[in-house]
Amino acid sequence: MNQLIHNQMPNNSDMLCPSEAIIKDIIDENSTIKTFVVELTEPKQAKAFSYMPGQFVMVSVAHQGEAPISISSSPTQSGPFHLSIRKAGRLTSVMHNMAVGDFIGIRGPYGRSFPMKELENRDLLIVAGGIGLAPMRSVINYCVDNSSRYNSLTLLYGSRTPSDIAFKKDLAKWEKHPLVDVRLTVDMAEPGWNGNVGLVTSLLEDVEIDNKTHSALLCGPPIMIDAVSQILQNKGLEPKNIITTLERNMKCGIGLCGHCYMNGVYICKKGPVFTLEQLNQLDKI
Amino acid sequence: MAGLATTFGSGAMTNSIEEISGSEVIFLIGSNTTEAHPQVARRIIKAVDNGATLIVADPRNTVISNFAEVHLKHRPGTDIPLLNAMMMIILEEGLIDDAFIEMRTENFEALRNVLFEQDFDGLVDITGIEPELIKRAARLYASAQKAAICYCLGITQHVCGTANVESIANLAMLTGHVEQDYTGVNPLRGQNNVQGACDMGALPGVFPGYQSVADKSIREKFSRAWKTDLPEEPGLTVMDMTHQGVANNIKAMFIMGENPALSDPDCSAVITNLKQMDFLAVSDIFLTETAELADVVFPAASFAEKSGTVTNSERRVQLMRQAIDPLGECRSDSEIIMAISNSMGYPMDYQDSAEIMEEIALLTPIYGGIYHDRLETTWGLQWPCYDRNHPGTQYLHKYSFARGRGRFVPATHQAPKEQPNDEFPFVLVTGRTYHHYHTGGMTRTSEILLREEREAFLEINPNDIKELNIRDGQMVKLRSRRGEITIQAKATNRVPKGVVYTGFHFPESPINRLTNPARDPVAKCPEYKVCAVSIEP
Amino acid sequence: MLKKKIIKKDHLKPFLRKLSKDSDLVAPVRNELGDILYQKIYSLDHQDIDLSAQPQESAKSFLFPQSECLYTYSCAKGYKFEPQRDGRPTVLFGLRSCDISAILYMDVVFMRGPRDVHYIRKRDKTIIIGIGCNQPWENCFCNGTKTGPFLEFGFDLQLTDLGDRYFVESGRARGDALLESWPQFFSPVTEEDKRVRYQLVLEARSAFTRQVHVDSAFKRIKQEGVAPSIWEYLAQRCDGCGGCAYICPTCTCFTLFDRAISQDKGERIRTWDSCTHLGFTSMAGGHNPVNPKKDRLKRRFLHKLYYDYLEFKRPSCVGCGRCLGICFGGVDIGLFVEMVCSDHKEFVEKEPANLLAKLLIETGLVDEKAVQQALKEKNDKEMPLGKILLDKGLITQKQLAEILIQQLDNLENSSPKKRS
Repeated sequence: MNQLIHNQMPNNSDMLCPSEAIIKDIIDENSTIKTFVVELTEPKQAKAFSYMPGQFVMVSVAHQGEAPISISSSPTQSGPFHLSIRKAGRLTSVMHNMAVGDFIGIRGPYGRSFPMKELENRDLLIVAGGIGLAPMRSVINYCVDNSSRYNSLTLLYGSRTPSDIAFKKDLAKWEKHPLVDVRLTVDMAEPGWNGNVGLVTSLLEDVEIDNKTHSALLCGPPIMIDAVSQILQNKGLEPKNIITTLERNMKCGIGLCGHCYMNGVYICKKGPVFTLEQLNQLDKI
Repeated sequence: MAGLATTFGSGAMTNSIEEISGSEVIFLIGSNTTEAHPQVARRIIKAVDNGATLIVADPRNTVISNFAEVHLKHRPGTDIPLLNAMMMIILEEGLIDDAFIEMRTENFEALRNVLFEQDFDGLVDITGIEPELIKRAARLYASAQKAAICYCLGITQHVCGTANVESIANLAMLTGHVEQDYTGVNPLRGQNNVQGACDMGALPGVFPGYQSVADKSIREKFSRAWKTDLPEEPGLTVMDMTHQGVANNIKAMFIMGENPALSDPDCSAVITNLKQMDFLAVSDIFLTETAELADVVFPAASFAEKSGTVTNSERRVQLMRQAIDPLGECRSDSEIIMAISNSMGYPMDYQDSAEIMEEIALLTPIYGGIYHDRLETTWGLQWPCYDRNHPGTQYLHKYSFARGRGRFVPATHQAPKEQPNDEFPFVLVTGRTYHHYHTGGMTRTSEILLREEREAFLEINPNDIKELNIRDGQMVKLRSRRGEITIQAKATNRVPKGVVYTGFHFPESPINRLTNPARDPVAKCPEYKVCAVSIEP
Repeated sequence: MLKKKIIKKDHLKPFLRKLSKDSDLVAPVRNELGDILYQKIYSLDHQDIDLSAQPQESAKSFLFPQSECLYTYSCAKGYKFEPQRDGRPTVLFGLRSCDISAILYMDVVFMRGPRDVHYIRKRDKTIIIGIGCNQPWENCFCNGTKTGPFLEFGFDLQLTDLGDRYFVESGRARGDALLESWPQFFSPVTEEDKRVRYQLVLEARSAFTRQVHVDSAFKRIKQEGVAPSIWEYLAQRCDGCGGCAYICPTCTCFTLFDRAISQDKGERIRTWDSCTHLGFTSMAGGHNPVNPKKDRLKRRFLHKLYYDYLEFKRPSCVGCGRCLGICFGGVDIGLFVEMVCSDHKEFVEKEPANLLAKLLIETGLVDEKAVQQALKEKNDKEMPLGKILLDKGLITQKQLAEILIQQLDNLENSSPKKRS
């Protein structure tokens, strides 16, 4: 697969040393997710920072260490990039208490991106659960900004409750765009909700799949990914057309520390984006 | 300790740790060895790999029990019925060592009479184990040539702790498995120097070397050396001071390297007591929960910043040497004590710990031949070591017990002070986990140890989880008659139904708010291992 | 062609003294308790350099310290990281072939892909003078991993002990430079020297008492995989203490964390970590993809003996033997290789669960199909076989107890478990 691998930031031969970045804006997506608009403070670095959907950065927060976070903006929108972060552990909790003008550290971008070139002229099915929509947001906005190159894009997005639905502004924008077909569902309804209720797998029932033209991109909790890929394969989609992104405890992000090592590969280097076919080959022993 | 003192005359491990790997049969009771004493576990596993038989008695499915040929899962607090049942089998099947009993022990008739009166099936019922397993374990232990018993806090942290130990000693003497190499009764001490602390007279009724305060000539010997009058009566025990200090008329306390506000049972009572005291001084290496209550805190030096000796479970005195200069303002314990003593008008002037060791050797017969220069180039010396030429003692009681003849002290079942009832239907057992040490003062500052085990969790049997209608990982409210805490539930097959287990390493879940301060009347060890609790989502 | 010279043993210390003028010198030193450890030499005259045995720890910590402050950061205004600078060049003297091979492996790890500047800074300033082993020690198996007892490359200089003198080979430009800078210590090699060395090498290679067939293990794993019962057997014995990774010269896993010095300043520290630790892969939110313990052991052993073999054509175990004897439960690489190479049916059959299953079927207590199904579930759920059958109502508590007793009787009558 011909995926683009972007190098680390130039003028920075020490790959373990974070660069300073400033928070330019904070968007509340829902009660646990915030999108941070971030820019590197050193102008040359900021200008040279380039990435593709699916890549991630290592984010440093003072006294809290580092964590891997997917980039949720599309490279087609120049300038600062977006990090959509769910409050889950120590570092993310501290970050949620930060304000515009505060500083964080950035290393990256790292990892293999989604194969946007290979996906051209295909019908894309994107299935996301909860915070899983964050890296997909990058993919969808990239497709929308290059809409002539993609056939269609169907988004199936599952949240726990209607108040948990994140990225409402983007969803509204996508619903209006001719390329995108947005279908939402929630696990539990709330008063005022008229949409689908059920797990995101329930939305799959109405989706037609043709292995020759379709590719599926999945991101969410491991159980969801397992269930969805099973259903898609039953519908005739081959593993090489099912793409997912893996989440792992990463410390260095550059294939040194061993934390994301699995079956002979470093997830941060060979992934985090994988096709199901590649994953099946990894699990051989 | 007290139990072995009554039966054998000496309270320490009878044999050495290395000998464990050469035993034919090892009977492990009340010890979660792989997590609490990995070095001992290593030798047990080596022995099993070489063909030894392991018998484990523990209510939980511990890692070491995987290696056992017989795993006796008795109910918490039923050790005496178990041991008595085993001894009944041994008597009945003629597996006792007549010669040993005849020549080396006394009071056998009392034990035999007590055992004859017991109802075997009744005992088996109390323990909850299949009778065949008990019989098998008894036969294995008794018919071996060299069999050793190892026990730990699972035996001593009960209201009948001393009686438990005495029963173990009874079992060993009954079968003649003492006074030889690769046998013996081996308590595994918790800290690297708790044996040493006891040796130096940290118990209220003895001077260093277990010399009694009641003995006039001993008192005079120390009086002369220390140039002061000494009390004739034993002092207060730890819990008399930490829990009842103010009621016992104590105005001031100096606590060194201990964190009773978190580690003592019914620790809320400790906190109340210490807060009411007129004056509290604490010396410790970190600002612990107890230190936060103090009026004065002395920063103490850690093990790497001072020189001195430690005495471990197998009575081995080893020299630990200073590796770095004390950081910041901290000082070694002896320096702190000397500074206080001098300010109080009692001059103390020891140049270094070697000089202190000389005084110990002078006044303590069992340490009589232990000097720093002898320890410098060896792996230490095991007491008793009476003079400079004495090589130390590998195993005790070789030709006779320390008290002459070993004494059988029969015991009958004493149920734990607190039994489960309708309101508190579960038995709570507390203990240690692998990654943390005691109240976590040291271990919780290590990034990796903290990551391995970040918070407390309560081990609950999956059937109980189902019946209580809670999820694995859910926070639950754990309550006893004395207090309550919230803690995360963890479903595991390690505990049997009706029993829950947790460690005491996390101040966010101070389990000792719930534990029972009821104590063994002799050893005064609190019953950490059994109390009744209720669980609610 | 390697340059060859002779240095008399009497002249070794004077040579080292010259080297230690501008470099830090590290060498194996024997302490009062009889341990030999690689240590910094502060005084050549007061510290005993002892080349008589394998040092108990490898030289890993001199290039990859157990705990290292990588950066200090300040977060008062902005957020800046400042790398640490380190010290003088170092001469690592007296390294065994296994330890040198381990350094070559670390070179690949830290320099080939993403380059770790902290490692490179030290490595560029390090000179390696190794010594071959004239006789292997009890736990050594560098013959199985082809990393000793003598090396053909990788060192700057390699010494062979010929009795009263050392045979010196130069392996790299830096080695040549040393020989040229201090010609007064070195004399030419004679035919007799070469003959004696050749003899010693042959004797060393044939003197191994422990045979660990790493190559065969790799072939077996490639063809058949590894029986799950082997992982379960090892997992029962493993405590997750990480000792094997810490003592292993080629284990390079690490973790990074920040430690605050004050509100505005802190340090970013790198320390060793072990993939056998439970928390190694745990994530915020509780998910841990590599749990239970047998998965962690599987990852560790396959990393060293299979995946690295596929990638580098050689295993990343260097046969130093230090993990044998350090593990509390005996879960060392020697045992693993032995289990894989042996007819591991023996382990599978002797497994308590399988013995129990056999008994249940033989006595007709439980239907064979149900037993097989339960065995499958046992591997998935990690529960004892008896418990699964109890829960399903296929057997009563009493029946289970009786069968267990019978199983013990059978065990007693067969030979005890013995590990060679």
